[in-house]
Amino acid sequence: MSAPAIELRNLEKSFGLAKIIQGVNLQIAKGERHAVIGPNGAGKSTLFNLITGRFAPTSGGVFLHGEDVTGLKPFEINRRGLSRSFQITNIFPNMTVFENIRCGLLWTMGYRYSFWHMIGRQLDVTEKADGILARINLSSRRNELAGTLAYAEQRALEIGITIAGGADIILLDEPCAGMSHSETDLIVDLIRNVTEDKTLLIVEHDMGVIFDLADKISVLVYGEVIESDTPDVVRASAKVKEAYLGASLEEEAV
Amino acid sequence: MSIASKTPLTAGTTRLISLSNVMPWAFAALFLLCLPFVFQSSSALTIMNQMAITIVFALSYNMLLGQGGMLSFGHAVYMGLGGFFAMHAMNMVEDGLWLPLPFLPIVGGLFGMVFAFLIGSFSTRRAGTVFAMISLGVGELIAACSVIIVVFFGGEEGISGDRTMGPPVFGYEFLTQQEVYYLTVVWLLVAALLMYLFSRTPIGRIANAVRDNEERAEFLGYSQRNVRWISFCASGFFAGVAGSLFAINFEILTEENLNLATSGSILLITFIGGAGFFVGPIIGAVVFTLLQTVLGLHTELWALYLGILFVACVMFFPSGFAGLIAMHRRPLALGKLNLLIKPYLKVAIPAITSVLSLAAILEILFHKRHGYGGDHEMHLYGIAFDSGGYQAVAFATIIAAISLFLVSRVLPEIREAWDNANHAEDRA
Repeated sequence: MSAPAIELRNLEKSFGLAKIIQGVNLQIAKGERHAVIGPNGAGKSTLFNLITGRFAPTSGGVFLHGEDVTGLKPFEINRRGLSRSFQITNIFPNMTVFENIRCGLLWTMGYRYSFWHMIGRQLDVTEKADGILARINLSSRRNELAGTLAYAEQRALEIGITIAGGADIILLDEPCAGMSHSETDLIVDLIRNVTEDKTLLIVEHDMGVIFDLADKISVLVYGEVIESDTPDVVRASAKVKEAYLGASLEEEAV
Repeated sequence: MSIASKTPLTAGTTRLISLSNVMPWAFAALFLLCLPFVFQSSSALTIMNQMAITIVFALSYNMLLGQGGMLSFGHAVYMGLGGFFAMHAMNMVEDGLWLPLPFLPIVGGLFGMVFAFLIGSFSTRRAGTVFAMISLGVGELIAACSVIIVVFFGGEEGISGDRTMGPPVFGYEFLTQQEVYYLTVVWLLVAALLMYLFSRTPIGRIANAVRDNEERAEFLGYSQRNVRWISFCASGFFAGVAGSLFAINFEILTEENLNLATSGSILLITFIGGAGFFVGPIIGAVVFTLLQTVLGLHTELWALYLGILFVACVMFFPSGFAGLIAMHRRPLALGKLNLLIKPYLKVAIPAITSVLSLAAILEILFHKRHGYGGDHEMHLYGIAFDSGGYQAVAFATIIAAISLFLVSRVLPEIREAWDNANHAEDRA
């Protein structure tokens, strides 16, 4: 059996005295669509930040395809085939939509820090970027500044930038946050489409999206994975019910 | 030519050179070649040379500020060091080194780049305040060194050289201002073109991306530090070229060429011109040099006016002169620019009068305070009068008040015309 696409071993992260992630072990197989759910403050975004190199873990390790990437910088992890999106839209607002996508392409297409290519003349880049624009339905917005797009369009662009480089591991942090039902449906179709044959790790609050999309679901509560299995098992799990019900009862009490 | 990167739909065209790309450069070259036939005096040539040098320097500064998002308070270091090394090279030519004068800027540029490489290795780790503070510190450090290391910097009197000692190039020995002008202008065109092309390369585009959102760029495989470092080295090269051109033109370099005041003015120049646009620094450099030289001949207060212009720019048109021009692209595209002509003409006379009368108040007060021992006869705008009494100030104040009132009356009309000109459909 080949090494899992993502493997977390005893991952821990503390901010001062607060232990946010407390010993997470997780294996995500190649080609799997894996979702992380959990109440607010469970540490989902922190977990993402640990995997992608935004934070260094306090202890434990992160492995991509069996390779230890613990403590590497985000750009080094990205070069190993992992790409992520952000919960808060994170695009290049003063560049055009087309250029946003192109920025996502340049490294993996081998242009790197080149100052001897004229970017406008590289037909391969232009074609590929236009292809991605078509896939995320933003061709009509091609030459507008990304900062002027509507929210849902910016979210789609965020996903476009994330997948542009052709990374085989995609991490999406709440891609549907703040979207209407119809917009959510579009984005879910888009995600399904663009992550074909890729490993997907997704954090999302919309349970409909999760159970629709995921092959496996991990439930994170107070920095610990309390359940990690298929949607059906997770749905039936008493532990999960307790964690969620407990959380919602607490919310009501407030 | 804005760096706000409008990629036309024809991007990726296979044609090597398209006419619309070449025309602005061809026009610029033709214009610059013809200038000396219009302005023939030696002082005019000096001003134009100074302008060309400032343009190269400002463009190199904008590679940091406008394109890379790095606010530097010490960019004169790279121009100055490049200039000092060029000057030393010039003196070595005198001792027998074979180096034709037109290639001297390459020497200065390389040294500028070497120092940008060294200093950039630690200053470009972070952008924002950290970068700004380090640039300030390094600027102060090098300026201090220039008075301490006398062997290299020549102390307070600086170092000087003679540009005519090198081997002649096609018979030119660069004795006259005109020959130096053409040398400077060729370098201006080459440097500006290279800097423009740099902004169209992958690294140039990614420098914009890092400026906009450094974190996102990191998650796309780019080390923000390396991206900034490369831009910084390129910028250092062109600053060094500007320094060498200064050495060639003025044949003397002093501490003034690398101190913080010079670093400050290049920031000001770039900002006034418009850091968001490739042509911004060019406009800024032209305006600044004109204020400094032409206005500087007529009044000692030119630096005050420059300061007021800068503050007004930050407050009212933060995208600079280039931004003001770019604002008119939409009305132009809609074919409604003509709607603006009448209100603009209407405001022009009172606006100019208010500027002149406000300046008159300052000038009269200044003259009153600093006039030579009781000599209160003053000449302003071709009028001779007595600056001693209160009448002159009072008169200028009344004119200023009236013209400002007229400006305020026209403003609503301009606003309305502006709204109309920016909307596709006519509004009743």
